[in-house]
Amino acid sequence: MSRKIILVAALGILFVMFFLSMEEMEDLFKNDAKLYFFEHGLDDTGSSNLITAILLDYRLFDSLFEAGILLVAVFGVIWISRHDFEERNAHFMLDKYKTPELFVTLSRFVFPLLLMLGFFIILNGHLTPGGGFQGGAVVATAILLLYYINLERKTDISLIVAVVKFAYLGIVLTASISLITRGEIFTNFMAVDAPTMSKYIYIIALDILIGINVALCLWAIFTAFLKEGR
Amino acid sequence: MNPVLTFIVVLIGLYGLATSKNIIKSVFCVTIIESGVILLFLNFANYEGGAIPIVSEDVAAIVDPLPHALMITTIVIGSAVTALALIICIKVFHHYGSTEWAQILRREDVK
Repeated sequence: MSRKIILVAALGILFVMFFLSMEEMEDLFKNDAKLYFFEHGLDDTGSSNLITAILLDYRLFDSLFEAGILLVAVFGVIWISRHDFEERNAHFMLDKYKTPELFVTLSRFVFPLLLMLGFFIILNGHLTPGGGFQGGAVVATAILLLYYINLERKTDISLIVAVVKFAYLGIVLTASISLITRGEIFTNFMAVDAPTMSKYIYIIALDILIGINVALCLWAIFTAFLKEGR
Repeated sequence: MNPVLTFIVVLIGLYGLATSKNIIKSVFCVTIIESGVILLFLNFANYEGGAIPIVSEDVAAIVDPLPHALMITTIVIGSAVTALALIICIKVFHHYGSTEWAQILRREDVK
């Protein structure tokens, strides 16, 4: 009991410290730095969506390792779930007698729509909210519905990982082309004075590669969880 | 929404992390702290009259897109950490037959 009182008191001190420092933090992102993105973002990168512009052009180095961390997580999950005993599907989740028929029928209906939504989000990353990471997650969700449509489904996890490695290599190579065309690494490979309309070819190409990377990584993680079973 | 409310979400996660008896609940609490941090950053970026950061002709002022881009990183890394933590939970359950902190720590071979 006394432990909980000490804990609540410590959390209360944290709260007071946060409350006192909030005055300074509130204006953290309300300066004029956003005006630079607003005025130059579209011309610099060819992307109306400034979040995609930051992710894929201004801070691309950050995004590369973001995709890399997902890849490392897949390797970690596969390495930890490596096992000698017989592989089983997760019975608590994907049991033929426990999965309702309505759920299976609805999955068949939703699957193509969800796949189409995912591709839409990936391909329109420069115009509407979305991009490679978000669209890849939606595509992965659509692929996971396949496990409900066909409960006996088996997936070769090593094949997925091989494709993911090449997708990640493709991201790094696409980001490095600018070293030849522009003379600086990790930025748009179109020329600086190229028309804005042609600059988003780079954004779409990188969005597609990141989408493939994220979708396959999440698929591999889910498959590893299924194989682990009960 | 007030930034104080988002910090209360973080405090709820910290309290749960300190008091939860199950490993899987601890993983959930880490996720709750993460959501609190995401809400806090999006809260700082927001202000009255700022539109979403997509350039078009009828937009006069936008919110700062930088915290939005940073929070995508947080979400991706958070999902990676959660996946690793949960697969370790499954391994612990296979090995020790329980996911309760107390029951695992009571065993001789752990110490």
